[in-house]
Amino acid sequence: MNQHLSQEELILAYYGETTSTHLETCESCQAELGRLAAVLDRVTLVDVPEPGDDYEARVWNRLEWRLRGEKKRERNGWMKWAAIAAVIVIAFAGGLLWNRRTTPETPHVIATNTAPSNPMPSNPGATNTDSEPSTAATASSNPDVIQVAAHVPPQQQTPRQPQTARPQDAPRDRILLLVVGEHMDQSERMLVELTNLTPSENDGFDIKTERAKAEELLASNRLYRRTALDRGEENVATLLNELEPMLMQIAHAPDEMTADELRTIQKRVETKGLVFKLRVVRADVSRKTVKQANEPTT
Amino acid sequence: METAAHNQDTELVSRILGGEDDAFRLLVERHSRSLYRAAYRIVGNAADADDVVQETFLRAYRSLSRFDARASFTTWVHRIAINCSLDLIDSRKRRGHHASEEDDLAALVSSAATPDRVALGAEMQRAIDSAMRELSGNERTAFVLRHFEGMPLEEIGEILGTRLNATKNTVFRAVKKLREQLQPFTGSLV
Repeated sequence: MNQHLSQEELILAYYGETTSTHLETCESCQAELGRLAAVLDRVTLVDVPEPGDDYEARVWNRLEWRLRGEKKRERNGWMKWAAIAAVIVIAFAGGLLWNRRTTPETPHVIATNTAPSNPMPSNPGATNTDSEPSTAATASSNPDVIQVAAHVPPQQQTPRQPQTARPQDAPRDRILLLVVGEHMDQSERMLVELTNLTPSENDGFDIKTERAKAEELLASNRLYRRTALDRGEENVATLLNELEPMLMQIAHAPDEMTADELRTIQKRVETKGLVFKLRVVRADVSRKTVKQANEPTT
Repeated sequence: METAAHNQDTELVSRILGGEDDAFRLLVERHSRSLYRAAYRIVGNAADADDVVQETFLRAYRSLSRFDARASFTTWVHRIAINCSLDLIDSRKRRGHHASEEDDLAALVSSAATPDRVALGAEMQRAIDSAMRELSGNERTAFVLRHFEGMPLEEIGEILGTRLNATKNTVFRAVKKLREQLQPFTGSLV
C-alpha cells in the first residue's frame, strides 16, 4: 500500500495506536510524523506534584468521616420513617383521645349507630332531636364515631390545650422523647459538622451532605415540634421552633457556598447557641426517657 | 499482574457488598494516588484534585452495588473521577470562575522550572495554556488521558462513554487545535 498516511493515522501512529509498514518505508510520512512529534513533544505539562507518603491515610481520614454520615443516613432511612410513623400514630391517637374528652355529650345517634345490637336505627331523625342537623346528617349517613366527632362545629370545641400527663400516655410520651432525642442528636451533629468547616477565600464549599441532611431534618422537625406542643413538652417545642429557621436556611442553601455565606451561617448558629441548647435539652430529654422507663406503669 | 490486581479489586468489592466495610479502606489505599494524578491532570491543582478524589470515592461507595464484577474496577473508578473532574470544571464555568481556571492551568503548565520548560520560553508556555483552555472538557480529558496518562483509546472511550471512533475523533480534534495554536512557535520545526 503506497497511499500516504492521513493526519489522523499519523496521530494514531504517534501514540502507538497503529502500526504501518508504509510508515517504515515512506520518507515523506516519516517526515510528516516528525513534524507532528515536534509539536506534541513540546506539550509537556509539569509532573503532578507528589501528594506525600501519607496521602492514602489522609484521603481515608477525610473520607471515613463522610462515609460514616453516609452509612448513618442509610441506617436511619428506615428508622426515620418508623419514627415519623410513630409520631403520626401518637398524634392521631392523642387527637382521638382529646376529641373524646373534649367533645360535648355527643348526640345519641352515635351510640345508636355504633351499637352492634342496633346497626341501623329505625328512625334516626327521632333520636337526634338535640343535635345539630349537619351532625345528624353526617352521623346517619356515616356510622363512624370518629367522623361524627370530627364534625362537631368549631364553636362547640374548647381551645386546644396541652394534654396533662396521664399514666396511659406514658408509653407514647416515651416514644416521642426517644425519637425527638434522636432528632436533636442528628441536628446537633449536622450543625457541628457545618461549624467545623474552615472558611477560606478559595472556591466554594461543598455542603451537599449537610444541605441534604438539613432538608431531611426540616421535614421531621415540623412534625416533632407540633407533637411536642400537643404533649405539653414546651422546652422541646421551643427549641425545635428555634431550630427550624436554621434548618430551613441550610436546606435552601446552594450545594456550594462561598466563604462569606458559610461564615454567616456559622455565626448564626453560634449566636443562637443552638449546639449548646440542643445538647442541654437532649440531655434533659434523655433523663426523662430513662425516668419514664423506670416508672412502674399503672 | 493486571489480572491479579483486577481479582483483588473484585474480591474487595464483594467483601464490601457482603457488609465488610473495612475492605473499602483497602480500595481507597489502592486507588487514591492514581486517581489524584488523573484528577490533577484535568483540574490542574492539588486542592481540587483532592476534592475530586473524595467525591469519586463517595460516588463509588454509593453505587458499588451497580459495579459489574467482570469490568475493571480501575477503569470504573477512573471514569467516576473523570466525570467528577468534568463536573467540577463545569460548575466553575457556571459560577464564572474563569480566572481561577486560568490560574490553575497556568500553574499546571508553568510552575516547574525544568530545563525543558526554561528552553520552551514564556511565549510558548502561554500558547500551551491558551491552547489547552480552548479545548472542550471532553477534548481536554481525552487528550490528557492519551497524551499524559498513556491510556489506550479504547479505555478512554469507556471512561467518556463514547465509541472508539468518537474517542479517536475527540483526540484528533484536540491535537489539531493544539497544533494550530502552537504553529507559530514550532514553525521552524514543522
